[in-house]
This record gives sequence, C-alpha cells and structure tokens, in this order.
Amino acid sequence: MAFIGKGVPAQNSAALVAGAGLYTGDVKLDRMTHAHVVRSPYAAARILSIDASAALALPGVVAVITGDDLRAKGYAMPVEGFGEGVKPKPFDLYPLAVDRVRFAGEGVAAVIAEDPYTAKQASLLVDVEYEDTDPVVDAERGLAPDSPLVEPDWGSNVLFEARMTSGNAAQIIADAAHTVGGELHHHRYTGAAMEPRAYVGDYDPYRKTLTFWASTQCPHPMRTLLGQTLHLPENNIRVIQPNVGGAFGLKIPYFQEEALIAALSLACGRPVRWIAERREDLLTGGHAREGHFRWQAAYEPDGHVTALKVRYVADVGAPSALAGWGQCYVTGFALPTCYKIRDTDVEVIAVTTNKCAWNAYRGFGKESSSWLMDRVMDAVAQETRLDRTAVRLRNFIQPDEFPYAQNGGAIIDSGDYPKALKRVLEMIDYANFPTLQATARAQGRYIGLGLGQELTPEGCSIAGTARFNGWDGATVRIGPSGEVTVLTGVTSPGTGNETALAQIAADQLGIDLQYVKVIQGDTSICPYGLGNFSSRGVIMGGSAVHIAAGELREKLFKVAGRLLEVSPGDLECEDGKIMLKGAPFRYVDTRDVVTKIYSDCHGAAACGVEPGLEATRYFRHENVYHQPETQGRYSAYPSWANQATALIAEIDPDTGVIKILRYCAVHDSGKIINPLTAEGNVHGGTAQGIGGALYEHLVYDDYGQLTTTTFMDYTLPTAMEIPHIELEHQETLSPFSPLGAKGVGESGITSPLGALCGAVEDALREFDVRIDRLPLSPERVWRAIQSQGGRT
Amino acid sequence: MIAGEFEFFAPPTLADALRLLHEHGSGCKLLAGGMTLVPVMTLGLAQPGAVVSLNHLQGLDGIEDIGHALRLGAMTRHATVGQHPLVLQHAPLLAAAARGIGDVQVRHRGTLGGSLAHAEPAADYLCATATLGARYLLQKQGSERWLGAAEFFVDVMTTALEPDELLTAVEIPKQAAGAGYSHLSLRRVEGAFPIVLASAQIAPGYAQARVGLGGVGPRPVVLDVGDVVQGGLTPAALDALGARAYDAAQQALSDLNGSGDYRREMARVYARRALAAAAAQLPTGGR
Amino acid sequence: MKALVKLKVNGRSYEVAVDTRAKLAEMIRDDLRLTGTHIGCGTGSCGACTVLLNGQTVKSCCVLAADANGQEVTTIEGMSKPGELSPLQQCFVDHHGLQCGYCTPGMVLSAHQLLQDNPSPTEDDIRHAIAGNLCRCTGYQNIVKSIRAASET
Repeated sequence: MAFIGKGVPAQNSAALVAGAGLYTGDVKLDRMTHAHVVRSPYAAARILSIDASAALALPGVVAVITGDDLRAKGYAMPVEGFGEGVKPKPFDLYPLAVDRVRFAGEGVAAVIAEDPYTAKQASLLVDVEYEDTDPVVDAERGLAPDSPLVEPDWGSNVLFEARMTSGNAAQIIADAAHTVGGELHHHRYTGAAMEPRAYVGDYDPYRKTLTFWASTQCPHPMRTLLGQTLHLPENNIRVIQPNVGGAFGLKIPYFQEEALIAALSLACGRPVRWIAERREDLLTGGHAREGHFRWQAAYEPDGHVTALKVRYVADVGAPSALAGWGQCYVTGFALPTCYKIRDTDVEVIAVTTNKCAWNAYRGFGKESSSWLMDRVMDAVAQETRLDRTAVRLRNFIQPDEFPYAQNGGAIIDSGDYPKALKRVLEMIDYANFPTLQATARAQGRYIGLGLGQELTPEGCSIAGTARFNGWDGATVRIGPSGEVTVLTGVTSPGTGNETALAQIAADQLGIDLQYVKVIQGDTSICPYGLGNFSSRGVIMGGSAVHIAAGELREKLFKVAGRLLEVSPGDLECEDGKIMLKGAPFRYVDTRDVVTKIYSDCHGAAACGVEPGLEATRYFRHENVYHQPETQGRYSAYPSWANQATALIAEIDPDTGVIKILRYCAVHDSGKIINPLTAEGNVHGGTAQGIGGALYEHLVYDDYGQLTTTTFMDYTLPTAMEIPHIELEHQETLSPFSPLGAKGVGESGITSPLGALCGAVEDALREFDVRIDRLPLSPERVWRAIQSQGGRT
Repeated sequence: MIAGEFEFFAPPTLADALRLLHEHGSGCKLLAGGMTLVPVMTLGLAQPGAVVSLNHLQGLDGIEDIGHALRLGAMTRHATVGQHPLVLQHAPLLAAAARGIGDVQVRHRGTLGGSLAHAEPAADYLCATATLGARYLLQKQGSERWLGAAEFFVDVMTTALEPDELLTAVEIPKQAAGAGYSHLSLRRVEGAFPIVLASAQIAPGYAQARVGLGGVGPRPVVLDVGDVVQGGLTPAALDALGARAYDAAQQALSDLNGSGDYRREMARVYARRALAAAAAQLPTGGR
Repeated sequence: MKALVKLKVNGRSYEVAVDTRAKLAEMIRDDLRLTGTHIGCGTGSCGACTVLLNGQTVKSCCVLAADANGQEVTTIEGMSKPGELSPLQQCFVDHHGLQCGYCTPGMVLSAHQLLQDNPSPTEDDIRHAIAGNLCRCTGYQNIVKSIRAASET
C-alpha cells in the first residue's frame, strides 16, 4: 500500500484528543519561577524612572529586571532584514524598552516571583514614571512632514519603501480610453491562536547551558537568535518546541519576550515560566493586514486589463525584530497574481506607527494582493458590463504558459486557473443563480454571489536571513528491528505535516506507516531546519525526508539486489518487502535486509555498502532566485498554490447583517500528500478569512490604545458563523519539487475577502453599494445601503 | 489571572450571606455564576477585598408558582430558566431570553440575579424582565423591599441595590392566556453581547401590547404600544411603533459594535420585528 | 490568602490549599497536574477550559478554585481510561476533528454534554452546542462531522 495521497489520521491526534499533549504552559520544573511583564500604558513615551522597591518588598518576589539592566549586559536583539535591499532603517532593540517605549503594551520591566499571582501582583507595584509624547497612530498622517516620529533618528516614519515596475503602466493608463480606479482599506487583525504565547527558560548556571521551551514555529532559528542576543554559544542552547496550540505565522520569532525570558533565567539561575494572558497576546502578539490601497487600471471593452498602477501604504506598527512588516513587500511582489498584466507599477510604503508590530499572519501579504485583484476584476466587469467570470478568464495566465515569469520576478510554477474557476462555477450552479436571486428578491430577500481568486505563493525563501531560507533538513534512520525514525527540521503547530512526512518516508522505504515515527521540535535531536511557515513543512521538510529516505532506499536495494541476484535498478518496495519489478513473488523481507546490514556487515550481501542505516540530507528548492545579477531576477517564492472560490450570501437590508448561504471552492496545491489534513488546513484558513472579513477588528484609538483586548471585543467566529465548506481539489503538480507538492498551509484565508465584497455588491446592486473597506460590519453595510450609491 | 488578594467566603445560609454583606458593605463582591465577576477581576477592573460566594447556600434557586406570578430565586441558572416547565408555560418570553444568553457553558453557570444585579444595559434579562413587568426583591439584614424595573434599574451597571443588599428573587407576572411573545437580539457573533434587544408581548385583541428595548440607553426601555397597534399591524402602525422605539432610544451609546445612530435605527427595526413575531403567535395570526 | 478546597476530580478525592485568587482551571492544571484542561483567554470566551462541574459543562476559568469546594469535577482526563479513547474521542481522531489540539479537550466535553442532552442532534444543534468553544484551526467543519459520527455510533 502506498501512503501518499491517503487521508490517514494525524499521528498526534490520539494524544491530543485525550488531553495528553504537552504545551509550553504545561511544563513544570523544580524551583521554577514565574514572570510577569510590566507594560507601558502609553503608545509613545520616554521612560523617566523605574522604582521597583514596592514590588521587591512583596514576599515571594525574586527579582525585578528593567531594560537598562538588559542593555548593561549587552543583550541587543538582532534585527534581520527581509532580503537584499529589503531592510528596515536601523534601530536599537532590547528585550525590554530602554529610554522610550514604542507602543502601548511594550514591556518596560519584568518581575520574577515564586508563584504567578505574586508575579502579577508585584508587577502592579512597579512604579514607572513616563513622559508621554504624541504617538503616530495613522499611517497616512504619519507620512505628513509635521508628523511626530516613531524613531527620531529616521527623519520620517517610513520603515521601508519599494517601487516595483514592469513595462510602462503610467503611460498606458494616461493614454487609455478606459480606466477605472478605487481605494481599498484593509483593517488590522491577527490570527489569535487558542494557545497564547508561552516560554520556559531554564538556565543551568554551572553547565552554562540554556534549555528553552517555546510556543514557537522555528526552534532552530530561535536558538541562533538567542545565542546572538545573550552571547551564549549556540551548542549550549537547546530549544524545545513541544505541542503548539496554533500559530498561523504569528509565532515566528523574534519577540522581545523570547529574549527576555531567557535573559531572566540567566539572571536568576532558575527556571522562569511566562504565559501570555490573552490581553497581552492581543496587545503584543503581532498584528497584520492594516493598509490602504489606491489603484488604477486601464482596460479594453473586451475586459482585457492592460495596465495596473497601485500605491499601497501599510501601517506596520512599531519597529521590532519580527519579520511581519515584510508582508507589505510581498503584497507588492505578488501582484498581479493570477493575471497577465505586463505593465504594472506598484509602490509599497511601510509606515512605522506606535502600535504593535506586524508579525507574519497566514497569507503573509498575499491575501491583500489577491483581494485587490478581485476588486479590480469586479470593477472592470462592472464598467464593461461583462460577466465577472469572463473578465477573469480573459486575463488569466493560461495553463500552457507555465512556468510563468511574473512581473515581480517570480516564476509561477504551474496552475490551471480557468479549470478551477469553471469547476467552482459548476459547483455553485452559477448559471442558475440569476433565477435564484430574482426569486429571493421577489420575496424581499437580498442574496448575492461573489468570486474570490487566490494565488498563494509558498515556501518563502529570503536571502540573507537566518529565519527564511529555502532549504531544510531531515535525518532518516532505520533501526535494527526495521522501525523508521525521521528527525526533521520542520515543525508543526497542528497542521499535520509530521504525518505527511511519515507518509513520504513510508512510501520511499516501502515500510508500513505504523512503523514510522517523526520527531520534530528539539534542536538537540533534530537536524538544523527552519521550522514551519509559508507552508514549507511538506515542500521543504517533506522533500528533505524524501531525499534522505531515498538514500537509505538505495542502500537497501543494493543489499537486496545481492540477495536476490538482480540489479538494484530492477527493484521496488512496498508493504515491508523489496521485490523485483513485475515479479513480486521474487522478494526479500525488508527486515531481513536491515538485519544483514546491522549484523553481517562483512558478509556477501552487505559488504558492498557502508554500515548503518542513517542518512541526513538537505533539500534546497530550485525555483528560487537570489542572484539577480546573473539570473536576471529575484524571486523568493518557489511554489504557487491557488484556489477559486464562489460564495452566496444573504444581506439583511434592514440591519446589514451578512449570512453566508453557500461556500464552494476548488483548491490546487499540487500533489496532496494527505487529503484529510490538507482539507482541514483549507477549512481553517477559510474560517480565518471569513473572520477577518466580517467579525475581527483590532481597533486603536487616537491615543494609540488598543481597545479590543479581550475576545468579547475581538470577536472570533464561532461554529454558528462559519458555513459548511464545499471543497474540491485539483492537483496541478509543481515541476520543481520532488513530490510535486506546493504547500497547503495558507490556502483558504484569502478568497473570502474578495468573494464577500463581491457578494455584498451583487446582492445590493439596486442600492449601488460599492465596497472599499473591511471589515464588513453590519453597521458598515447598513450605512452603505442608507446612503444609496454610497461606499462603505 | 487575578492579582488582587481577597478573602473568600462561602456562607451556608442566606442569613450568613446578609451578615457578611452588612459587615463588608461595598468592600466585598457577591459571586453568583462568576461569568461576569471572575473575568472582571481577571482584567483588574475590580479588586474587592472580599468575595462572598452564593453558590453554597440553599433556597435561592427555586422556581415557585405563586398564583398570579412566578417567583424565581436569584441563583436560578440560565439553563434552568430556559427549560423549566413553569417558565415555559407561564413566562415563555423569559425562557426565550435565557436560552439566548452566551452559550451552553455560560447558561449552566450564569444566574438570573447575577445578570440583573450587574445591570449591563444590553443584557437579555434586563429587557425581558422589564417588559414582563417584573418585581425585584432586595433583602438585607432585617428588612426587604420590592421594586419595579423603573426603580430597580438606575443607570449603566447601576441598580438600586445598596452595598448591604442582596437581590434574592424576581417575580414575573404570568403571561395572559393566548398572548404572543418574542425576544430578539442583534449580536455580532453567537454568544456575544447583544447590540440591541427587543422583547414583545401582545394579548389577543391587540389592545395590550408591550415592547421592551435593551442596549438603547442606560436602562431598559418599556413601551406600552397598545394604542399604536390596536387597529392591527398595518404598515402605518408598524411605522409608528418604529418611530416610538427610535425616539425612546435617544440615549443609545456608541461603542465598538455600533454607533448610537445605528442602535437607534436598530431599535426601530427590532421593535417592529419583535412585535410582529409576537403577533404571529396569536390565534388570529395577525390581522 | 489561602483556602482549603476538598473536591472530587475524575472520581478521585483531593484536598488542596489554594490561593483564593486561583481559578478552578489553574488549580486543575498547576496543583493537580491535569494539564489537559487549557486556558485560552481567562475571561470565559473561548471555552478551552471547559470541564464538567457536577455533571454540567462550565468554563473553569470563571470558577474560583475555592468555590469548587465540595463539588465534583470531570476533566478531559476523566473522559476515558489511560491509554484508551472513548468512542467520541475516536470519532474526533478518525474525522480529523482536531489539529493543534488546544481547543479539543473543551470541545470534547461540550460534545459529550450535547450527546447526553440530545442523542440525535441536527447539524444546527451541533453547531449551537459548540458555539461556546472557539477553534482557530479547523473551521469547525470536521468537528461537526466528528460529533455527528459519534451520535450515529
């Protein structure tokens, strides 16, 4: 039996469903102390003084540490860029604020105590004197010459800017007979994993070793970054990522608290545990998406879009060591997504503000690119009076044009967008929808159909970074009893990639899945890898496993070949046997071959191969271009999943409430290793996309205070809000990865944005409602109806 | 996590609880379901020196039929209110309101008295009990008093309860035979706090009709609208009803879930819908 | 300040001196070391801390540990024998009703409550029953499928 392509249950599920998982907050060590962070109430302020005497007087308090203490130890946090020429302006960063705070919620001091209640109680007694200054809370205003500065040394609030041009969009638009344009406002929201961030640092002052448990996505890079920050040799640091309760990109390092908790343990020589409260996590756990697009397109009456000009101002929050601000760069890079528009002019401006910094959130900026293109296509359809699907089909990159060199430098590996779109239209019975709509209208009901087209570049590989590279490693071992152990550098926050990796190893070796065990998340055990993000678990980690297992397969075949007296090239393996192709009755048990290697290395069968059955191999993805001077392009994304979505929604015209009636999607991530876990990922992404479009909003007031700090205010969708998702798969293989897989982790989160906007406009055509802003709260939709012909 | 230290009391009788209230006054908080107090303390919005739990004393959670009305103990959990045969029969509007509060877990623990005493303007019970013409029993050491909704609800999260008083029971007049009722709410997501609420009761004949509104001001608003709808739920009558609801919602607050303007308009919409839904239950099905 | 709490958890009697500030969820996790009950928000919204209190699901982050004196609690660890899965739990595994597993114990408890109250729930009943349990990984679809499968066995 082959396991690739089978929906086998995820390996971790049995333990997790029984409550037997081990999450960072479950770790309890002898003499463990508890940390609580004192946080700035101001968005921008100078720190004048910190008086910890009252806190220290509380029984049970072990220590109070300030930013100055950490600076004195030289614990500066390294800040990476996001590729060649894609870097923020320089700034100093320590695990706690020094001299001044950059956002409301930034830590200014930390208390360590014998129990968590005392730690929190003491934190309230630390007396910090601030001199607050005017914060920057709006990106557009932040660009004004008289705006306060987040970083006084920068001279402006521009953290980064880029202009990506291809052809001559400006001229074409200027000369065009037909143009259409608009604005889009994407709001601020985040992933809000159910497990808040947590870390346990355990420094052994005698051995000078640090063990660090973390709810993270990248244990090895975290180890590297901690070593650099704390001046500890990396081989004295062990980072353990146990079970993680969801991450979605937001647990990619490098947070101040990560360095802080490690530093606290070094300072007191005892284990230190920190578990973020939900309020803290919403305040500091990384935000995303907030930005403002202005766009203009030239088009022809047949729907062909001939040029696109975009200016995108992103509110990326305060300077930090998180890589989230890079998302706005990716938004620009991914344009014009699935479409052939050779003349594009994209300006991206990342504006720093006194708000929580962006961290990677599922989609990583690509969701905004696809949303924009959906709006552009819908607008062109509106202007030309052509069908929305006809306009998309007219502009798609065609199936025979792959690999396609997109404007930003990417090589889009493969895809069949027309086929997916046509299939989803069948699924939702698009042809019959006008009748359905008219019938509803006659009953006083308003329903609309919207389309969302996702292009999701995956496998993010950025030059010059410790965190984001296009490679990963795996060790595969077969023990004397024939059992297989896979040690991988990729990690899983619940996605199930460990199961996919096991399936890949099982198939390469022809050994039953039940004998394959995957170990991940421990830097002392696993080969160096970069963790999980950008859906790289299978494409990078799985490919490394495939290659390492392939090396063992070769060795097994050499020995089996001797035993069967045939050429190794004529062999195959399955179900614990190595057999002759076409003559399966001529076989040996794989276990017997393993025994020969382990206990008869001088014998005839095994003397021709190196003893042992262990291979460590690394995979580098080929569809990545980091040498523009010789390769003519720079591309960070090797694989390109896509999805076509169609949904039907009903709008209550009296209240503005939106209810999704049907949700259909055709998803293409190339080869699917495990359909069960792949679908689960798309379902989850879809729910987050719907949540972001309709229900979730991180709201800052004019003083830079986050007003949505609990789940009562930051409302996540429940089982009542998420519809049943009708999902089908298309598998257009990637020619660039050994298994043809493209990665599924970010699929689904993008298309609800465009599809919901389109459905609302479609339902409310008689009111001439145009959507240019999210979230689609009931009041927003209601107001658009009231002001007929109004924008939301 | 709760940071402020406090003494915890679990009095076994009502008398003990009243004595503790008398001793601690505003220095203590009463713990009923905990679905509000514990989060409030976790967020540091209240730091009482003492917490008095009502979960270990007998006699505050019964539902009695007293002839013209039901008397419900303040510690009756929402789940019980929502499913109890007496409530379903005699005060189905209250049961409907209870069933819409929070989620299953919240309803197992949250209490009628706790919700009313907290007096969050958009709470389901405020709107529902006020519409039903409830009376509220306030007890302290040595005395007790009954108040109607207009006196009991004073302001946002403020009732007439004095620091040493406990809300121990609520009396709900039985619904008239053959009457129709409804309880509707507009929420951002399931289980979230309502944006606006409307409860409605209408007797056969339409001359007696009431609409209560919640979330449209600091206190629940109850409108006797028999005069508007006694001729039937014509478009003009519904418009007039809506206008009256809109006018009654002048103090609607703006917050993350909606502006005051939006709430006022939703008061209009929900008043109409609630009354129409109640009327649809009448034998005549709405004239 | 301390309070002495005597209670039964998963059928076993315990006597624990707790800080009065401790929530039931925290006592279960830190003192009794039953870490299957998770804390996702601490303010009664997400339901990851759902346990049975005297046979009914409650959010244990909204119950003070001291207030659980004299009560009976069932946590996820009490839903099956060590090393075994209940039929309901097996359905979650088979139908991929979990991914990261953080909301899962609470979700299983709520599903258990539903099937006790309503052995043949409709899809709407199921979604209603778990509306107090937030999940960010699954989009709820396979959770609903798992619970429906459990109701049919």
